[in-house]
Amino acid sequence: MNISLLRRLALAFVVLTLMVLLSGCVVTGGGYGYDDGGYIGADYYEPAGVYYGGWGPGYQVGPVRGDDHRDHRPTGGGGHAYRSAPASHSMPSIPSQSRSGGGGGRSGGSSGGGGRR
Amino acid sequence: MHKQHSSNLIGLLVVLLGVACAMPVMAAPIQLPAIVEPANQEQHVGKVIFVELVTPDLAAAERFYAGLFGWTFHDIQAGGTEYAEAFLDGSPVAGLIQKNIPAGEHRQPAWLSFFAVGDVDAAKKVALQNAAKVLFEPHTIPDRGREAVFADPQGAVFAVLSSSSGNPPDVLASPGEWIWTSLITSDPDTDAAFYQKLFDYEVFELPTSDGSQHLLLASDNYARASVNTLPANKPNVHPHWLDYVRVENTVKMTAKAVALGGRVLVEPRIDRQGGKVAVVADPSGAPFGLLEWPETESKEVPK
Repeated sequence: MNISLLRRLALAFVVLTLMVLLSGCVVTGGGYGYDDGGYIGADYYEPAGVYYGGWGPGYQVGPVRGDDHRDHRPTGGGGHAYRSAPASHSMPSIPSQSRSGGGGGRSGGSSGGGGRR
Repeated sequence: MHKQHSSNLIGLLVVLLGVACAMPVMAAPIQLPAIVEPANQEQHVGKVIFVELVTPDLAAAERFYAGLFGWTFHDIQAGGTEYAEAFLDGSPVAGLIQKNIPAGEHRQPAWLSFFAVGDVDAAKKVALQNAAKVLFEPHTIPDRGREAVFADPQGAVFAVLSSSSGNPPDVLASPGEWIWTSLITSDPDTDAAFYQKLFDYEVFELPTSDGSQHLLLASDNYARASVNTLPANKPNVHPHWLDYVRVENTVKMTAKAVALGGRVLVEPRIDRQGGKVAVVADPSGAPFGLLEWPETESKEVPK
């Protein structure tokens, strides 16, 4: 085989290899939490000693039933940083339709339940 | 002489070729399962569609959640990262990442909520325009989609995800699946406005008997999250998102969590219209909620 041809081939492979190595270093999709940059998840640990709880009487966090609108008292957006939902809109519940197709459909109803995340 | 030179060069070529083939594999980004299988075209902006936990003891976490909810795990290793995908009845429910807490740092694990968006980069722009901070820049995870992590104006950490496989449909959560999420924050009013700009939520006000502000965020005509004021007069409170797993019996599951090495942060209590909630922490301290959501409204009332 011609030596100069082999040398050119070798040079081409060296260049190709360097290009591949460089493309490997420019990680596409490593990103937060998953790469080896030394910060995997570091910033979504909470500070230690955070107090959870202290919920007094009347402190409620869960969803409402879709067929119960007694709680909704729209203020028309006045005095708030957010826009309140229009008074004509019923307060929705979590999804109630089962995976197999049963359940109450949109706006919850009394069967309750929620979407698989 | 020529023959030996040729064989040396050919040997060199083989080595170079081997290195060229091996390095992309070694440097390949982690491959994570899609969150929806089979993929669909659904998009529910503002819905929590996935959750992840960074934990210093992945094996202990797997034992705990397997024992509590019956989750099974598929361990994935790439680039030095240990990741476990949690499944319930064959569907992905969560991701867990092994990460040691560096010596001298005082931190505790926490679940991270991923909210569905259509465009992560556009979400980043809106977030930054409204006093949020970017903790992790938008980036693409093969098969998962594009995501970013932010801290809202009060400091609560959350993520946004544009899933490449669509969004889970809005259906009834089975026991052992995530059913609800709540934001507990120092300024519900400002935070509700922030998330409304980000996810186009409808915001509903809920009357309270304790003087604090209770709000409900909705999209697609479904309730997606609640917003509550941080409990007053408590030391070291910190705005945070809290995710809830649906359970059939909050009291029994709270006891089971303790038996598996967890601890109770909020004792089981009656919530709105009979739903019973508790907050527990896993063995490494990551808090999460348990929500009993009966098929019909319970007549039990808060005490």
